[in-house]
Amino acid sequence: MIQNRFVQNLRFIPMNRSLFSAALLATVLGITAVGCTGGETAKDKPGETPSATDAAGGGTAALRPEPSGEGVKAEGDTIKIGIVGSLSGDQKPWGEDSIEGGKMAVEEFNAAGGLNGKKVELLVGDSASKAEQAKSAAEKLISDGVIGIVGEVASGHTIQIAKSAFQKAIPVVAIGATKTTLSDEGTNVTRVCYTDDFQGPVMAKFAFDELGLRKVGVMTDNQQPYSQGLSKSFSDKFKALGGEIVGEAFYESGQTQFNGQITELSAKKPDGLFLSGYFTEVGAIAQQVRQAGMKDVKLMGGDGWDSPQLLVSGGDAILGSFFCNHYNNREDRPEVKQFLEAWKKSHGGKEPGTTMAALGYDATKLMLDGLKRAASLDSKALIAAINETENFAGVSGNITLKGANGNPKKRALVVEVRSEKDGFQVFRKAYEADEVK
Amino acid sequence: MAGLELSTLPQQLVNGILLGSIYALIALGYTMVYGVLKLINFAHGEVFMIGAYAALFASWGLGYTPNNAMSGSNPINLLIMLLASMTLCGLLGVLIERFAYRPMRNQPRIASLITAIGVSLLLQYGGQLFLPSSPAPNIDAKVNPYQDNITIPLRPVDGTLVAAAKQLEAKQIETKTAFDGYLERTKESPFQLSAAGQPFKKAAQDAERDLRTAEGKAEASGLSIRLPKGQMIMLVTTVVLMALLNFLVMHTKPGRAMRAASHDFDAASLMGINVNSTITFTFLIGSALAGAGAMMNATFLSGTKIDTFFGMLPGVKAFVAAVLGGIGNIPGAVLGGILMGLAETLVVWAGYDSYRDAIAFIVLIIVLLFKPGGLLGSNKVEKV
Repeated sequence: MIQNRFVQNLRFIPMNRSLFSAALLATVLGITAVGCTGGETAKDKPGETPSATDAAGGGTAALRPEPSGEGVKAEGDTIKIGIVGSLSGDQKPWGEDSIEGGKMAVEEFNAAGGLNGKKVELLVGDSASKAEQAKSAAEKLISDGVIGIVGEVASGHTIQIAKSAFQKAIPVVAIGATKTTLSDEGTNVTRVCYTDDFQGPVMAKFAFDELGLRKVGVMTDNQQPYSQGLSKSFSDKFKALGGEIVGEAFYESGQTQFNGQITELSAKKPDGLFLSGYFTEVGAIAQQVRQAGMKDVKLMGGDGWDSPQLLVSGGDAILGSFFCNHYNNREDRPEVKQFLEAWKKSHGGKEPGTTMAALGYDATKLMLDGLKRAASLDSKALIAAINETENFAGVSGNITLKGANGNPKKRALVVEVRSEKDGFQVFRKAYEADEVK
Repeated sequence: MAGLELSTLPQQLVNGILLGSIYALIALGYTMVYGVLKLINFAHGEVFMIGAYAALFASWGLGYTPNNAMSGSNPINLLIMLLASMTLCGLLGVLIERFAYRPMRNQPRIASLITAIGVSLLLQYGGQLFLPSSPAPNIDAKVNPYQDNITIPLRPVDGTLVAAAKQLEAKQIETKTAFDGYLERTKESPFQLSAAGQPFKKAAQDAERDLRTAEGKAEASGLSIRLPKGQMIMLVTTVVLMALLNFLVMHTKPGRAMRAASHDFDAASLMGINVNSTITFTFLIGSALAGAGAMMNATFLSGTKIDTFFGMLPGVKAFVAAVLGGIGNIPGAVLGGILMGLAETLVVWAGYDSYRDAIAFIVLIIVLLFKPGGLLGSNKVEKV
């Protein structure tokens, strides 16, 4: 009988169907809003980026505002430095590697005596593969009193960190954030990697000259500012070389099914596809491209492909594709050898899975190097010192930030994707910073 | 945005129906539970997610771990994965009903709804503690023995163009052999060629390009649709499962109990129907169908990565599909699912790729505004 009354009550509740539907609608919309991780980064469309950066190669002095804040002083016996990376979520392979690299740099620094007897303490923030988490991680580090932040790997995340750090005049050394306009956030933002207006043209030139492609389709992850910028710089250069962009398709991070987009691209009969997104989606795209009958089409991408996870999600379909990277474990430079030796010692003889380990190490070491040269132990002096860096011998190559507006001139290496057994990425061709313009 | 390309329309319709069949399977679970309990089971998408994990673990158990050295597969493996997924999801559905919804049954309806969202969040975030999710794993494509396509020609290709392309083949082979021969002789890398090697490379690239262009032209002169075998199996399985469901609901005793409960909960219990076991049965079947959908989605759409949010978007879209078809109505859920799949691919076909996910909500808003009962549902207003 209780049940009976309950149902009757229900029937007579004045909450009729349309009200109920409205409540449902609100719930559903709420759920999807939670799902949209790129809320803040999405507005960062390529069309809105200052056009001056396209011409000048990013980071023009006029566009880089000086942080007006007072800066943070290092107090006590230890100097606190923060590092932000994704310790959970899709981009965990990068976060783990870059943070491990950062820790190695700090350990070496402290083992060598630190700075006049003062040790450096590295605080870690988890950005959980989300832009808004990167922001809160950075703010937590700032409130913990760090005088500098190293990170992040993804451009969309780094932009958020840079904005928070700018208000407090704290330096940010980005690890793998290649979006060209990133360094326009302020003079406090620098990086140890190349930019997308270098990496995109490198791949365009490689596709045109080395692979002999003339008709290329482009797939862009609309949720990643990185992917949008890279697609544009690739397309511009490829067209300038005389090639044709036959089709463009878009998707969003987290999408798993690309048949619609692939069918449209396939109808344009491209001889190559440029996939500017992250490895997290590229593997599935590659498989579905092959399944759709595009067997001979060459696949290419940027440094966002760099994770052995690509082989797991891409299977056989991804083998023989090409992407652009920062350095290669097989390089014959002393910095690379020393780094690999030290890494292997603390990682059971294994080499780092992604190049973000080396870049995380470089970025942290560069900040510590700035610390040595800084006029005083506060964040503003550190910003000045970092921007004066000259000929810093990094694992990923020489880094000079003096007069570079935060964007060092680096080499780019094009590598071919091979099976795990063959070492995942095999070096094919190197491009110097001035070679592609 | 791009102009409408009529030649890809038939293929996109096929893509849409294949995709829609997954939504239909999930939508059935929503619609059955709503029909009986008048409850939107928001945790249904998470049951779907667990189903994908069940299939993943089954595939690992069968030896298809990441970077495995397996070669080939057989249909038995797929069947094992399907059963694992359906069983686990069925059980999970029953457990959720028993421990989350049943204690709420005598509370106002909104309480159950909130509980459903709570269960959904619990599985999404709690799942991260013990399910591998970063980096997101995927089922190895090798487990699927049906990799190739069935091609159905709609319009034959132009014979002269095919012949023209064929003629270029000899040149392509000749120049490629010459280039390979040069590389063999000089031991040069094709990416660091000396000046002497450049002409060989250029000739090979030009011939290759001419051939591919001609082949592309020949192919474009005809029109055909491509049916991936794996996804065809998905469609057939979906249809079979739906036929079974229809039989179950319309021609068996538990089905009759289900219909009775959905028609009038109280009268059914007065007539001696055990409504508790009927509800349990409903959850069991609905969740098992979601499990089947999850297994097929994760297996036949190669490279699909699985994380604890895997069920969120498909779940919401299937929910919209159920509402579109008329929530509580079984054929309506199937129709709604297929229409959602079609809507999604047609948006991409029209060049608005970025609105692919948004279309679900646009459809939901339109349905709620103009036909709240759905396409096949009754438009009866509940009177006060």
